[in-house]
Amino acid sequence: MPDGFEERELVERAKEDPDAFGALYDRYFPQIYRFAYSRVRDQSLAEDVTSEVFFKALRNIKRYTYSGHPFSSWLYQITLNAVADHYRGQHGEVELEEGADLPSGGPSVVDEVVRRDRSRRVWSAIDQLPRQQRAAMVLKFAEDRKIEEIALILGKSSGAVKLLLHRGVERLRRELPQLEAELT
Amino acid sequence: MNDPELEELFADPAHREIVDLLKTTRPAAPPLDPHFRNYLRARLMTEAQRTLQPRATRPWWPFTLKPKVLAPMMAAVAAGFLVVLGVEIYLQRQPSPEMVSVNLPSNRTNVATAEPIVIAFSGPVDKTAVMETVVIEPATSVTKQWVGQKLVIVPNHPLAPNTTYTVTLKPSASPPPPPPGPSVKPAPTVAPTPVVMRFTTVPAPVAPVVPPSFTSSNVHYGHDSRLADSGTVFSASWTPTGQLLVTRPAGQPGPGAATSPSATASPSGPAAPAGATDVWLMSTSSSPATPIRLVVPGGSFAAAAPSGGLVAAWRLAATNQATLGIWDLQGNLQSTIATVDGVPDRPAVWLDSDRIAYVDNGTLRIAGLHGAIDAPKQKVDHGSLAASPSGQLLAVESVDHSVVIDLTSATAPRRLPDRATGFAWSTKGDLAFLAQQATGTELWVAIGGTNEKRVTSSPTGQTWSDLNWAPDGASLLLASKSVGAGSSASRLILINPDGTALTPFASQQEYSSPRWSSHGDFVLFTRQDEAGGRAFWIATTSPSDVDAAEKQALAEVDKFMQARLRGDNASAQAELDAAGLGAYQGGASSLLSSPGTQFDRYYPVTVQKTGSNPNTFLVGVRIFVSRSGAQRSFFEEQLTMVLQGQRYLVDAVKSTPTMLLSHGPTVVSVEVAPTSEGQQGDQGQSEQVRVRFDADVRADTVTNDTIKVTDSAGKPVMARIAFDPDNHLATLTLKLKPGSTYQLAVTTGVTDINGVALTQEYDAPLVISH
Repeated sequence: MPDGFEERELVERAKEDPDAFGALYDRYFPQIYRFAYSRVRDQSLAEDVTSEVFFKALRNIKRYTYSGHPFSSWLYQITLNAVADHYRGQHGEVELEEGADLPSGGPSVVDEVVRRDRSRRVWSAIDQLPRQQRAAMVLKFAEDRKIEEIALILGKSSGAVKLLLHRGVERLRRELPQLEAELT
Repeated sequence: MNDPELEELFADPAHREIVDLLKTTRPAAPPLDPHFRNYLRARLMTEAQRTLQPRATRPWWPFTLKPKVLAPMMAAVAAGFLVVLGVEIYLQRQPSPEMVSVNLPSNRTNVATAEPIVIAFSGPVDKTAVMETVVIEPATSVTKQWVGQKLVIVPNHPLAPNTTYTVTLKPSASPPPPPPGPSVKPAPTVAPTPVVMRFTTVPAPVAPVVPPSFTSSNVHYGHDSRLADSGTVFSASWTPTGQLLVTRPAGQPGPGAATSPSATASPSGPAAPAGATDVWLMSTSSSPATPIRLVVPGGSFAAAAPSGGLVAAWRLAATNQATLGIWDLQGNLQSTIATVDGVPDRPAVWLDSDRIAYVDNGTLRIAGLHGAIDAPKQKVDHGSLAASPSGQLLAVESVDHSVVIDLTSATAPRRLPDRATGFAWSTKGDLAFLAQQATGTELWVAIGGTNEKRVTSSPTGQTWSDLNWAPDGASLLLASKSVGAGSSASRLILINPDGTALTPFASQQEYSSPRWSSHGDFVLFTRQDEAGGRAFWIATTSPSDVDAAEKQALAEVDKFMQARLRGDNASAQAELDAAGLGAYQGGASSLLSSPGTQFDRYYPVTVQKTGSNPNTFLVGVRIFVSRSGAQRSFFEEQLTMVLQGQRYLVDAVKSTPTMLLSHGPTVVSVEVAPTSEGQQGDQGQSEQVRVRFDADVRADTVTNDTIKVTDSAGKPVMARIAFDPDNHLATLTLKLKPGSTYQLAVTTGVTDINGVALTQEYDAPLVISH
């Protein structure tokens, strides 16, 4: 995690200096691409989203004001919006609703899961979580973000994020043994 | 759990189990086109140049780009970062005459050595004419391609570090299409003055290293990076100069697909069959490592020659047949030396610079580059095969038992202990191998290749594999795995050849197949990812104690030089001891720049340890002098840095005359390092002197007549010389006596690829440590 003061200085320079913006890009590309991919599960789409995120960041960086949160929070917010914009344009895209169950482990899911080890299974299961839960779980467990930062990114309260994480973990606890049992 | 937020949130053990699983794993790395990141960066930087900096001129970027639209360009700029250097050329078509204006915001610095150069034009130009006018200095072979109105110049191999490049071109406007009917054909209008752009590449990533700074017993695991995603590199091995030969799925993108007339030769030889893989040369001088060029189309199982410059690889030929060919690193097929039935399952093994051992349907064979050679009759299966560095001894795991064959005598092969496998020869000629037993793995070492002794066994419950000697021959690296553990539970271990000092090399337990680079600055290994794939990684090695001392001395040099660049006399003098101050005050060199000039930048050219107790380093620095904002000349100083108390101070200085910066190649660094033949004899120990140029140099001008080492009496030292055009690197192998000082001279007989000679002879002292 970059030092806050150093990052703040870099962001301020990036408002005028292309090299500084390039340094921000170098620093944050991996996690933004990874996060974008975790949301859309498609390489081409993840590339489009990542491009959009950084171009939006470039266009708007002069308006960015440091609020005490890492700069990455802002980029994650843009990513979520870009993903949402994409899905808004996709008729027929199905999002699981909060409270929907994980897939029951039908043949195609089982075939998919059989090839993966346990860690792979648990991350696969996260992919099947409802949208907000999935975002919260990925940001917490894959990107090591603080709950307060996740709350900022998702536009929710810290309490709501905690609830999302708790529900996500609870669902994994409930569903994973069932999936694993079906595999053995 | 180590996360207070999660500890507070999840008290239930069942939840904690899930949380622990999530915290100790990561989702599989998403698939990533290796060029996408660089491509997007280039676009962003172009846009940033346009939008973040105030401009006096009108906006000109007329289009927006989507990655998919420009997918072909992504391939074209696949070499790595793509830098847009801020040249904008406006061809205002009305009124006549056409005008060219240039906006160069500033001279760029810290440009990565693998960065293509992109020049964007605002209007139609005569593309052929523009390409012909492009001149790059120092001379550099490049591939030029047009992508729309942008000229993309891709260096055919990484640029030299620490170097200011000048790109000059004379854009000429493209005549508008002739109107219907009779008309006068308009001629393109060439710009009245050339457009000139300059940029300076990054400092060398690793400070020059001198003996005895590399001692493998003290190194530690540094920073690692994934060479490529799993499934995109099938095998990898080091070249003697620290590049990588990798086998990639056929048809992967990379630079050098087409070459300009001035470029080095493109891959040649018979058309490759539709093989599933290609062999590429990759550079590790940039991060991430970048492909340099396709060397063997349709090739696999590549092996670099120990003398450098050549690679042996297999290619599928006719049905169920394969040929063993020799290519140079430019991709030119030199010869085909063998054809075998079936599909080979291992690389050939170089015995020396012109002999190769390989397995043909279970039979060991030896081929010379210029004809077949009789080989001892040995039936081999899929076991280990390794040659000693002298090429005299060959360790073979044959069908019956393992043996060491002396290729210089008719004596019967010497039998090794049962189950001997995993042969590895050190640079000193010591053989190490493993023998798997029911209780674990035995490590055997045969000093000089004879009288093997079992030195130790793996701890109970562990098995060992993947032996690899450190370049100094002072330690072994191996993979250790728990019996019955999955393939991901392997970890790397350092061990001395006498079986002592068993030390974990990397903390994580998922690495295997370690391979030191020849200079000891990297370790290549494989690692299983979360998705079950196996990817190649490289890790840097952190410094030994001597390296740390060298870095401390260099840090003081940097403080000293930065003060001089700033013109800060007091801070500069604070880095001098009394003798050093006296030397500067006595006129040995100028501490600060003279009026009307400025010390513009500097970099270390050589670092040599010349004494201990107290530690003393001789640091050669090159200082560039500018006048009126432009670098005009440089000179060098040899600074003697002596440890005094807790810090190094400048104790003495010698200065060279000032040299004008002009056309022609210059020497950018000189390194001295022990060789794989490093045993000391009457004439001294075998050393390598590596001289790196900034320009692409004509190989035929790098000879014993143009690069010479003389002893203190002025007598030339016999040297074997090799030239690596990819790294602009001349390597002299010669015997030098420890404790002696020699003189290196690079004469004006060295010329760049355009025939322009070194401006002035380059001289530097070489101090050989004990």
